[in-house]
Amino acid sequence: MKVIEINNIIKIYTEAELDVIAVNDVTLDFDEGEFTAIVGPSGSGKTTLLNMIGGLDSPSSGEILIGGSSITKLKGSELTNFRLRNIGFVFQSYNLIPVLTAKENTEFVMELQGKSKKECEVRSLELLKAVGLEERVNARPAKLSGGQQQRVAVARALAAKPKFVLADEPTANLDSKATETLLDIMEKLNREENITFIFSTHDNRVVKKARRVITLEDGKVLSDVKKNGGE
Amino acid sequence: MIVSIAWKNVWRNKPRSLIVICSITLGTIAGVFVAGLMNGWVDQRIRDVIYTQMSHIKLRNPNYLINEESQYTISDYKQITQFIDSAPEVEAWCSRITIMAMATTSRGSCGIVLKGIDPVKEKLVSNISEKLVAQGGDYFEEPTKLPPVLIGDKTAELLRIKNFKIDQRVLDSLVRLKIPKPITEKLKQLIDIRYITDRKFKSALNERLSSSEIRKYGPYILNLAKYYQPKAKIAFSFTNAKGELSYQTFQVCVIFKTSNSTFDQYSAFVKKVDLAAVAGFGEDQFHEIAILLKNEEEDLIPFSEKLSTQFSEANVMTWKTMAPDAGMMADFINFYYFMIMGIIFFALAFGIINTMMMAILERIKELGMLMAIGMSKMKVFSMIMLETIFLTLVGSVLGMLIGAGLINITGRVGLNFASIAEGFEAIGYSAVVYPSISVSFFFGVTVMVIVIGILSSIIPARKALKQNPVESLRIE
Repeated sequence: MKVIEINNIIKIYTEAELDVIAVNDVTLDFDEGEFTAIVGPSGSGKTTLLNMIGGLDSPSSGEILIGGSSITKLKGSELTNFRLRNIGFVFQSYNLIPVLTAKENTEFVMELQGKSKKECEVRSLELLKAVGLEERVNARPAKLSGGQQQRVAVARALAAKPKFVLADEPTANLDSKATETLLDIMEKLNREENITFIFSTHDNRVVKKARRVITLEDGKVLSDVKKNGGE
Repeated sequence: MIVSIAWKNVWRNKPRSLIVICSITLGTIAGVFVAGLMNGWVDQRIRDVIYTQMSHIKLRNPNYLINEESQYTISDYKQITQFIDSAPEVEAWCSRITIMAMATTSRGSCGIVLKGIDPVKEKLVSNISEKLVAQGGDYFEEPTKLPPVLIGDKTAELLRIKNFKIDQRVLDSLVRLKIPKPITEKLKQLIDIRYITDRKFKSALNERLSSSEIRKYGPYILNLAKYYQPKAKIAFSFTNAKGELSYQTFQVCVIFKTSNSTFDQYSAFVKKVDLAAVAGFGEDQFHEIAILLKNEEEDLIPFSEKLSTQFSEANVMTWKTMAPDAGMMADFINFYYFMIMGIIFFALAFGIINTMMMAILERIKELGMLMAIGMSKMKVFSMIMLETIFLTLVGSVLGMLIGAGLINITGRVGLNFASIAEGFEAIGYSAVVYPSISVSFFFGVTVMVIVIGILSSIIPARKALKQNPVESLRIE
C-alpha cells in the first residue's frame, strides 16, 4: 500500500527578486516499511522535498497524498493535527525538550495526542528499551551524549506509531560509533514496526543501510534505485 | 503536561527568573503594605466616626439643624424611643441634649457644644469613656462639689487648663526612657516653672535645646510635662429652652482625647439632669437620639428609611451623610487599593514582558520543533501564557505572604507618626495607625496577577506563533 504519493510537485522560492526552483516536477511514491535515503549535493532540494512531505512547507504546484489523503489542501491547525497523528520527525540536532527527561520527551507526542498516561508510559519504556536506553529513562538531555539524545529522538518519533518517519541528516552530528548504533536501531525498528523511514542525508553509511536510494540534483530525481535487503 | 513544561521552563534560567520574581515580590509587598496602612487609617476613622462621634444613625428635629436653636427638641420622643426599643436591628441607643455654649475660665474661653447625657446609656453607644487621659479623674463616678463636666484635650488647651511643667517626676521618666543626660541637665533649668500654654513651653524648650534635640525628644518631653489642673472650674453660658441667657459653672471630672482634635475642641459632656435643670428642659426633651445597629452593612439604609417613613417629622441621618468624607472612603476604599496594585503591576508588566521575550527568542528553534512535530498554536500559546502566569504568581504570592506578615506585626504594635500628629488629628485621623487588610483583598490581588500574567504573555506568545517552523529549525 502506498503510504506517500508525490505527484508532479514543484517548489519555487523567490530570492532577491529571482525565482529559484528548489524542487522541479518530482513524482515519487513510498510503500509501507520502506527504508529510503534521499541523497544529493547541497541545494539539490532534499530538505525542501522532505519538508513538503512532512507538511512543513507547501508546494507551488502538484499534490502530495499521505495514506490516500491530500495534505496539500490542508492548512493551519488541520495540517498541524495531521502531522501530529501521522508523521514522526528526527532532526539533525536532536531537538529534544531540555526540561524533560528521556521518558518525558518520548511520551510528549503521545500526550499531545491525548493518550492516557498509562499507555504513554508503557510505550515510551518499550521504545527506550528498544533503543538501548532503559537505564537512562530519567536523564535529561544535558546528561546524555549526542548519540543517546538522537536515540531518544528516534523513540519520540516512533512513540505515536506514525505512518512514516522523516529524518533530516540524523547522523550529521554523530561520531561513527554512534552513527552505527543509531542506524542499526532504526533499521531494526523499521523491520519490527513496519514504519516507513525516509532520510535526507550526505552520509554514505546511511546510504549503505538504505534499501532504496533516490538521488536528486537541481530539484529533479536523477535516479531511484531499489536494493534488495539493504546493505 | 503543558502545565508541567511551563513550570519547568520558568526555572530554565534561574538567575533571570529570580530577578523578575524579586521585583514582583518587592512591588507586591509595597502595594500590600500601603493598602494595609490606608485601610488601617480609614478603619480607625470610620470606627471613630461611628463609635465616638456620630453612631450609625441620628434623629433630630429638622428645625434644630438650621441654626441649632435649643428650643427645637425632638417631637414624638416617646413614640420614637418605644419604636427603637422594640426594633430587632438596634444594638443600643441614647438621647442627648445639645446646646451651643460659651466656655470660660479665668484664663481662656472658647465656643463649645454642651451635651447633656445619661452616662450609663451613653457608654453603650459611645466609647468616649475609653478615651480618657490617664491623669486621675473618672467618668462621672465620683461625686463632685459642682456638676461634673467631661472636656476634650483641645478644649483644656484653649481654656488654659492644660499646663506644662518640668518636675522631678518628669525628669525621672525621661531618664527611664533613656533620654541622654545632657538633655535632662538642660531641662533642670525649667524645673517647677508652670507654663499655661504649649506655645510658651515650646518657646522655653527652644531656648535651651537645639532644633535636632527638639525634633527627636520634643514629643516625649511635651507628653510627660503636660498636666491638667485638677478639678478646674468652667463657666458655661448658653441660651436656655425659653430663649433666655443662662449660666452654670461645672467642675472638670476628667479629660478625654480622641484622634479628632476638632471633635475634642467642640464637645463637652455633662449629665443630662444637671443641664436640663439649668437649661429648663423637661424629662422627655432631647435634641438628638443616637442609634447603634447590630448589623450595619445590612440594616443601615433599610432601618434609616424605616425611621424616616415612620417618623416623617424627625430628621434621620446615617453616619455616611453626617461624615461624607468617611462615607466616601468606606464606599471607595477598595477601588483605591486595587488601583494602587494595578499601577504597581502595570509597571512590573514591562519587566515581565521583557523577560518572556528573551526566553522566547532563546527558544525559537525549540518552539519551531514543537510546532513541527504537531503542537498546535493554541497549546504553544497556552504554554507561554502559563509560564508568564507562574512567574508572576510566584513573585506575588511571596510578596503577599511577606506583606501580610508585615501588616500582622505592625497591626499589633502600631505605626506612630508622632511628628505629624497635629496635622492628622485636625482632620480626624489618628497619628498611631494599625495597618490591617481583609483576606478578600488577597483574592482580588491574585486575580489581578493572573490577568497581568495573561496580558503580559500576549506579546511574547505572538512572537512565538509568528515563527515559521521550517525557518526556526534552520537556526544554529
